[in-house]
Amino acid sequence: MDRSRLLVWTAVAVICAVPVLSGPVVGVVDLTREPLDGIGDGSATIDAVEAPDTALFDRALSSDSYVLKVPDARIHVASIEGRPLVSYKLSIPAMSYSRATTHFLSPDDTGWVDISLARETFAPDRIDQSTYEANLSLILRVNDTKQTLHDEPITLEVTG
Amino acid sequence: MTETDAVGERDTVAGGASTEGDTANETLGNHFAAVRSVAMRVFVGDRLGLVVFLGTLAFVGLYWRVGIFITDNYTLANALVALADGQLAVEEAVFGPHLETPGMVLHEGAHYGRNYGQIVFALPFLWALEALAVVVDPGLLLPMVWALVLVALGRESGRVLGRPSLGTNVGAVCGLVAFAVNVAVARPLAPRLFPVAALQVSSILATALAVVTLYRLVARMYDRRTGVAAAMVLGLATPVGFWASLPKRHAVVVALVLGVCYALYRSRQSPSPNDLLSPLGFRALAYAIVGLSTWVHGGEAFGIFLALIAVDVPTARSNGVRSLAVVGTVFFVSMIPFFVTNVLISGNPLQPPRVLSAFQYPTSDAATGGSTGSAGSGGFVQSLLDVLPPIVATPVIAVLDRSSVLFGEFVAGTNTLSSDPGRLYRVFVRGGDIHGVSNRNFSQTIYLTVLEAAPIVAGVVAACVAGGVRLWRSVRRVPRSAISRVRFWLKGFGPSPAATVDAFAIAVAVSFVLMYISRLPLHAQLTVRYLLPVYPLAVYGIVRQASLRRAVGAHWRSALWTWAGGVLLGSQLFVVAVAVESLGRGEAVQVHALVGLAVAGAFALLAASSVFTDRFDRATAVVGGLAAALGTDFILLSGLVYFQYGRYALPAAGWVADLLAAA
Repeated sequence: MDRSRLLVWTAVAVICAVPVLSGPVVGVVDLTREPLDGIGDGSATIDAVEAPDTALFDRALSSDSYVLKVPDARIHVASIEGRPLVSYKLSIPAMSYSRATTHFLSPDDTGWVDISLARETFAPDRIDQSTYEANLSLILRVNDTKQTLHDEPITLEVTG
Repeated sequence: MTETDAVGERDTVAGGASTEGDTANETLGNHFAAVRSVAMRVFVGDRLGLVVFLGTLAFVGLYWRVGIFITDNYTLANALVALADGQLAVEEAVFGPHLETPGMVLHEGAHYGRNYGQIVFALPFLWALEALAVVVDPGLLLPMVWALVLVALGRESGRVLGRPSLGTNVGAVCGLVAFAVNVAVARPLAPRLFPVAALQVSSILATALAVVTLYRLVARMYDRRTGVAAAMVLGLATPVGFWASLPKRHAVVVALVLGVCYALYRSRQSPSPNDLLSPLGFRALAYAIVGLSTWVHGGEAFGIFLALIAVDVPTARSNGVRSLAVVGTVFFVSMIPFFVTNVLISGNPLQPPRVLSAFQYPTSDAATGGSTGSAGSGGFVQSLLDVLPPIVATPVIAVLDRSSVLFGEFVAGTNTLSSDPGRLYRVFVRGGDIHGVSNRNFSQTIYLTVLEAAPIVAGVVAACVAGGVRLWRSVRRVPRSAISRVRFWLKGFGPSPAATVDAFAIAVAVSFVLMYISRLPLHAQLTVRYLLPVYPLAVYGIVRQASLRRAVGAHWRSALWTWAGGVLLGSQLFVVAVAVESLGRGEAVQVHALVGLAVAGAFALLAASSVFTDRFDRATAVVGGLAAALGTDFILLSGLVYFQYGRYALPAAGWVADLLAAA
């Protein structure tokens, strides 16, 4: 058996064996663990927060819709253990709208960490004012406790 | 037989493993090699075809997401679950909130799915997934299969390139490394998603078959290198790749249409002793494929059937009783699964589930002003009938009413085209923000036209220009009556096998456009998926154009490098542009649309000029490569960035997608 044939059969054997070892019958190891295990457990110290005070309803490219663009917030993580959660939430009372994006912090997230809000598109008939008052908050959730990092009003400007 | 023996000699994997000279083992090995070589000839043609096939599988795997993309998918997935339980009626919405999903029909109190041909095709894959999952970790099952595809791809590529051990080694190492990376970031896959995955496997295999069939067709017409180029364009640069891993019928229909093209071509070629089928056999095969496609989608199958019969009957070598009996019998037999399914559901073999209830066809809101038209009433067709004397018109109207189920879509399409020809612009050229489409796409401008989704399609302009030039010259050269001029021009098409396929390709494309134009533009289309079979036919049209073959053939390196650069750098530029401008999803898609249109425009001009001069051949090849790269960019970025749902079949792809999302 020449070398390249040995290599190819080794590769096939390994590729087929590993899923069986991790499979329901053999189950020596479990290689496919849900990464959400332990989410929200641990601890974190946040010693600084920077959040925007204005955001935009921007006329979308080549359409009449509006894209809500909220700049990223930044938090400074002094120390961290486990997998704490940070949720970034925007609520617009005049539109009965609110949206939150949850970020999973990991143990190597120290120093400044950017927190972004998922972008959403609005039909043109939902925007009828030139500015909106909204509220922007950042909440740290660890071990089923909530700590408000930031909770301030924000002005949304409509452009285009 | 000679070819079988030759392949058997080279492939001694099964036989060669037994060195003791065990005769029983050897016979078994020979049988195995023979079966394998026949399977290879039937499905992929030759070894290079196998490479094309495996390459398509490997590419589509990169952005395969196991999950539901649009609500139509619920219908198929729930129907597959029901069928796996041994019944046609769908009783439970295993996927989705309820059973009232697009395409689901209600008949005598029971719900039924659609596209049963595809669902039955997916059934063995569901069984295979469930069987494998008994011993294999479900989360590693798809990475395992993909890594094995890589290993095989390396081995076969090495053999094709004449460097067997290098190819084998590279394939094995790549397969191992890719598998290891996927294991490192592996996540579980819920077995309840297996029905969706099985439908996706069937669709991906159909895509790979479609791509390899185009390769085989073009390789027979010209050479294998041209065939590979055509296959690459189809798989990498058109939305066929986009719909490959989605649980919808479109990829399957594309494979069937290309299958008919191939069978039709072979039926017109002179036979050689090596052939598995005679020309008449291939002619019957073309009809058999149409017959099978009725089982996937009756309406589209009828469109393909009309195109086939219009081209095949006048150009066939013989329409003798024997030929027609063979073709007719095979056609009838191929429709038996369709008839049986219909009998089981509606009791009428000719009534497919789709025509049981009327609510499943959403008509386009974009139909402003123009009448969408219904069979036999109003519009252009009605005005034609008004002109005819009553004695002629009355039977025509009666027939139209009777056959409104079959012809209704074509009549509506003809009416739409005559009353609102601008509709074509919204379907083929520029989409943007269309009233009635964007608002139903969650206010996002995620509708792309044919050219925006696949700028390479602009190359068809060259074929149009060449055809126009030929027509003009023939008109000038033969100054006789108009009818004889047209006849002269039609003769230019000639009775050659390729000309037959040309005519069929045009007929199928026209028939799909007529069938769907009254409903387009429509939401949840993304890349005008109803017209997906038009893309491969456009690629075929480009390949058939001698001036484009000359340009790309002479400068294929430039084209390939531009494509590679356009994919590697271009996709990064798109990601950066979307991140820097913090563009929403609809906006990102429109950036692709506008860049695509610009390049498509340049490519159309250059392709047209290539008919007259070879001075711009290098530029044509370069811009063609760029147009292809934009198609690839859209496939990759829509898969990894813009449209994220479900679980990535390859956990490593999901990991990359998460990184890109965080950017």
